[in-house]
Amino acid sequence: MTLLRDAYITGAGAFLPGAPISNDRIEDHIGRIHGRCSLLGRRALRWNGVRTRHYALDAAGRATDSNAGMCAKAVRAALDDAGLGHADLDYLAAATTQGDYLVPGHGVTVHGELGGGPIEVASFQSVCGSALMAAKAAWLNVRAGEHDVAVACAGEFSSRWFQPGFYEGTDLVDDKGRLAAEADFLRFTLSDGAGAIVVEPAPRPSGLSLRIEHIDVVSLAGAFEPCMWAGASRDDRCDAARGWSQAGPVAAHAAGSIALMQDFDLLKRVIRAWVGVYLKKVDEGRIVPDEVDWLLCHYSAQSLRDELMSLLDKTAGAIPPEKWFSNLDKVGNVGSASIWVMLDAFLKSGRLQPGQKVLCVVPESGRALAGFMMLEAV
Amino acid sequence: MTAVAAMPPRGDDVSDVLRRLAIVFAEFEARLAQTPLIRKLTHGRFTLEDYRAFLSGLRQQVMDGALWMSRAASNIDEEHLELRSRLMRHAVAEHRDFRLLEADYVATGGPLSEIQGAEKNIGSEALSAWMFHEASRPNPFGLLGAMWIIEGLGQIKALEWGRAAQQRLELADEAVRFLVYHGENDAAHIAEFEAMLGLVLPDTAIARRIVRTAEVTARLYVLQIEEIAP
Repeated sequence: MTLLRDAYITGAGAFLPGAPISNDRIEDHIGRIHGRCSLLGRRALRWNGVRTRHYALDAAGRATDSNAGMCAKAVRAALDDAGLGHADLDYLAAATTQGDYLVPGHGVTVHGELGGGPIEVASFQSVCGSALMAAKAAWLNVRAGEHDVAVACAGEFSSRWFQPGFYEGTDLVDDKGRLAAEADFLRFTLSDGAGAIVVEPAPRPSGLSLRIEHIDVVSLAGAFEPCMWAGASRDDRCDAARGWSQAGPVAAHAAGSIALMQDFDLLKRVIRAWVGVYLKKVDEGRIVPDEVDWLLCHYSAQSLRDELMSLLDKTAGAIPPEKWFSNLDKVGNVGSASIWVMLDAFLKSGRLQPGQKVLCVVPESGRALAGFMMLEAV
Repeated sequence: MTAVAAMPPRGDDVSDVLRRLAIVFAEFEARLAQTPLIRKLTHGRFTLEDYRAFLSGLRQQVMDGALWMSRAASNIDEEHLELRSRLMRHAVAEHRDFRLLEADYVATGGPLSEIQGAEKNIGSEALSAWMFHEASRPNPFGLLGAMWIIEGLGQIKALEWGRAAQQRLELADEAVRFLVYHGENDAAHIAEFEAMLGLVLPDTAIARRIVRTAEVTARLYVLQIEEIAP
């Protein structure tokens, strides 16, 4: 029997399209519903704390890139960071919330953009958590000896889905021309970009690598209904048989089934469920908060309300604020790509020391999922 | 696996028990959301009859709540007088709450005699029997786990349910006072509960009993909600 190998993150890369866009210029890029500024935007921004973000749509609404194109750039940057070239790549695991096409998958689309010879690919489609699903596949492929150079990438081109055409002429806009909060909120929350990591069976020859200790992805979908979704109306979203393709694209659009939506009432419950999953990991000894030197969490502490922060504190589950590293406020919430964009910035910040432990936490509101990755600097 | 789990925490400190209770509550909440009645509420299919059945179902347990708490207090020995005082105060604060439920019921247009004459459902019977059984034991500290579940419902779920029911059924404020009055969860609530745990912990057997009692109470509470039918 072949023994499992340790596997290491030996490189990271990110691609953020265009210049950083400030809060007052968001709607220049994603557009205004019926030409009117959103009333909700400011509230969303206060909650998510994002100050600048990037869009692959220019001020005229033209695409400057594709999801797969941004992923390919992040993959090249990560390989370059690891001191490897494109030709070294054996295995590509690609994650996204919504790819460029309905068919074929994101993995082959990224490979297409990347070019080059035959490799193994895999596609992971979920929401933010898809990043860790892909990372787990890359890690296990290297661990099992199937491949020596694996890349996990994740990308989002969310702004494309926020253009007025997705909402105008649908049930999501009321008589006064106001967009439903469930849809408008996300327009001021998500933005574009891609990130990638390289996984190899040995640390890089110089500089720090991150040994992957474990990756746990926990879905609670058996007990939760869709909380963030596209492809069904609000009323039909709990019944997958009534998804958008059943009605056809024109009727689905009119019903507001194509836009990306978030259920805020459910989100409050989902957040508590995430905390429950995390505390269970702590209780099982899978995560030992005192041993964590750095926390990279794809969720801002300010978005967790006081009572949850207090709960974490009182259950010996809290990780003190000085150990949190985040760049969400500067680069925006890039969905699945966020954790790699954050890890890339963290590694380049020079903060990490040998022997330190880094915990990455990726909650996904899509249908109540939480992902955890524990790393050790070597 | 090379990733050997680290040593689990010792397990009987206040923070360890609170953590386990938080996990039990999170699983309880997910399970509650799957019950037919709560699904109707969150899916916009809740009717006035459902709301009345809900109030009737809750009344039995709310009425019993102060009673089992009093009984528990009477079984706490003199080594734990502070905890006894707190339970007694708690019981006093809550023992008239079922009247509020009845008033809500009447405000929806339901006859008082109906809610007062309603039978306990199977889940309520089981929950009530379990509570009084536990409360009858000497130093029934496990019931702190039951309080975590039931108080947590009041603090976290009641307002959410009350608002959803009010919105869906266009109810007057007078008809949702019980659910809405319990108010929003706040950090002070956890601190108060933490202080009560501190009166009996650390102690491995008590820690285990508190968590177990929370688990059983949560399951029986779900059964009670499952059994509510208009």
